[in-house]
Amino acid sequence: MRRKGHALAGMSTIAWKEAADHFSSARFHFVMLLVILTAFGSVYGAIGEIKNTIGQDPFLFLRLLTTAKDPVPSFVAFLGFLLPLVSIALAFDSVNGEYSRRTMSRILAQPIYRDALLFGKFLGGMIVLALCLLTLWLLMTGLGILTLGLPPSGPEIARGLAFLVACLAYAGVWLAMALLFSTIFRQAATSALAALALWLVFAIFWGMIAHALTIALAPIDPTNPMTLVNAVEMQSALARISPNTLFSETAQALLNPQTRALGLVFMDQMEGAIPGAPLPFSQSALLIWPQLSGMVAAMLLIFTGAYVTFQRQEVRA
Amino acid sequence: MRTAFSPLGFVVLTSGLALAASGAFADTTSSPPNSPTGVWLTTDYPAVTEQVGKSFTMDLSLENHGMPPERVQLSLDGVPEGWHYEFEGGGNPVKAAMVGPGDTRSLTLKMTPASGAAAKTYALTLVGEADNQKLSVPISVTLAPPAPASLKLDAKLPALRGSASSNFDYDLTVKNDSPSDVTVNLAAQTPPGFDATFKEQYGSQELTSVPIKANESKDLKLSVKPPQDVPAGKYKVEVGTSTGKVQAETALLLDITGQPKLALEGPSGMLSGSAVAGKEHSFTFTVNNTGGAPARDVKLTADAPSGWKIDFSPAKIDQIAPGGKAEAQMRITPASNAIAGDYSVDVDSNGQGASDNLKFRVTVETSTEWGLAGLGIIGIAVLVMAGAVTRYGRR
Repeated sequence: MRRKGHALAGMSTIAWKEAADHFSSARFHFVMLLVILTAFGSVYGAIGEIKNTIGQDPFLFLRLLTTAKDPVPSFVAFLGFLLPLVSIALAFDSVNGEYSRRTMSRILAQPIYRDALLFGKFLGGMIVLALCLLTLWLLMTGLGILTLGLPPSGPEIARGLAFLVACLAYAGVWLAMALLFSTIFRQAATSALAALALWLVFAIFWGMIAHALTIALAPIDPTNPMTLVNAVEMQSALARISPNTLFSETAQALLNPQTRALGLVFMDQMEGAIPGAPLPFSQSALLIWPQLSGMVAAMLLIFTGAYVTFQRQEVRA
Repeated sequence: MRTAFSPLGFVVLTSGLALAASGAFADTTSSPPNSPTGVWLTTDYPAVTEQVGKSFTMDLSLENHGMPPERVQLSLDGVPEGWHYEFEGGGNPVKAAMVGPGDTRSLTLKMTPASGAAAKTYALTLVGEADNQKLSVPISVTLAPPAPASLKLDAKLPALRGSASSNFDYDLTVKNDSPSDVTVNLAAQTPPGFDATFKEQYGSQELTSVPIKANESKDLKLSVKPPQDVPAGKYKVEVGTSTGKVQAETALLLDITGQPKLALEGPSGMLSGSAVAGKEHSFTFTVNNTGGAPARDVKLTADAPSGWKIDFSPAKIDQIAPGGKAEAQMRITPASNAIAGDYSVDVDSNGQGASDNLKFRVTVETSTEWGLAGLGIIGIAVLVMAGAVTRYGRR
């Protein structure tokens, strides 16, 4: 039977309904409370550190996000660690939860296609994440204006907004991943555990795995310096499979304007370079463009996987 | 001058003493038989000219040839009203002197004319009274008005040669040819922009006037500093000294040899520019000659990171006139593997005897081709998703 009307009709209804459900759910409140508390803690520490150590800096507001005060990590490090958790909390039961609550057939009894349901669920999660990140960023900037007594400059705002986009792409990867697991596994607990296991692998163990793989795939010959170069390049390529690596590189280039390159740099490339000179925003954006487009593409492909899986499932009442 | 003996005194002395000595002492003296014997009071110059209003002295001597020791009382006759005089012998004021046989006493007559003494000739008589004779020497003193005051100014080396950046130091001697102490005002007239200062010869204090004692001279130094941008040529400095009544001038010459001076300037005055990695960019540099002579064969070179290509057109500027400028294009190609950010490039201009350099900051931008590749990856992902939607979309 050919379907009538637009394939994605009803998608926005699902998306906004999904977002509204998230905003009122206790689980989401709990996770966001965790994020906001850690964010306040790290930014508060950063403000103290900035007041003590930095006399003058053209990018004070970016320092607010990247400065760490022992033992509290920086805001960026916290986000890299906790954003996947927020995404997983949002989506680990979004499809299998409908089955277990026996509401799936009721939704699909409405004039809404299956495609629109999954797209709507994903978009709803993205709306929630975008609103939360924007709020968080505004909170931190406001805190910075209050305590530092300075307004942020134009490049700082541009870099901050670009960082928000990068955060959203990173969280989107994990949202798509959790959505995929929620379509694959019928039990919500299984999908949550699978997503959390993957999160732990990428957040904690991926560095070690990349290192071990490099030693196995590209052994270093001490007499041939080129093998060393190959090994370093291999290791960084492997590390970049992890979205966490992509995110931390993006954050580093966007929030530290002095960052000029993200990979291996040879001495002759640095000859005559003026150290500490900040890159213009457009050049920083160009620098992280591969990372950002990689994250966006990964998000789209993982979501496509979830979509294909979901479309091939049988929905029974 | 023995010719100044008065004929009368000579007669008196000889008549009184020669007779008595002829028998008794003829054998005991070693003087030649026909040399005169006696006691004389003499002066070298019995007629002198002195300045009005000044004290003066006359040298006298009392001689004894072959006569017994004689006490001579000294006095001066015909002294005008208000004049003072005094005899000095052995450094002390004396009234009388004694002289033994074959001996000579030196005496000094010190005279102070009256303050209002007229300028004319005065006749006086110097009188020496011995026990049995009277020695007298007529003297004449002419008072003359003082010589006119005058000032002399001499430069040891009146013409010097040097570049616009050097100091021209002239040694000057000012002589006060007048009987009174004076304060001499110093002035120098220079071409506009030149700076002239008077100093002591071995001192750093700047002077505008200097006191000089009567008949003495003083050595001064005049430092002339030409302005930096003065064209080459000969410049004259007039130096004048004046006491208010008299003055003296001299002319000094500065021969300034010009030299070129280069000033390098970036494109429209800026010291930075941007270039894309691996692509050629061109910046216009301007070389200014701010010196006083033409700059010849000005070569332009740049020191850039390895892998960069830099050349200038023209690479050599043949001549830049004083105050003129010339432009050159710098063509720069950053290495294709240069990473984004700021690099410093040293640009040098080097002429004969003049050079200037600046640090030019090149902001390297990376090409946006890889940005398109990223968009392509996202596009492929979107296409995959669209394919999945068309393949698996439930109809």
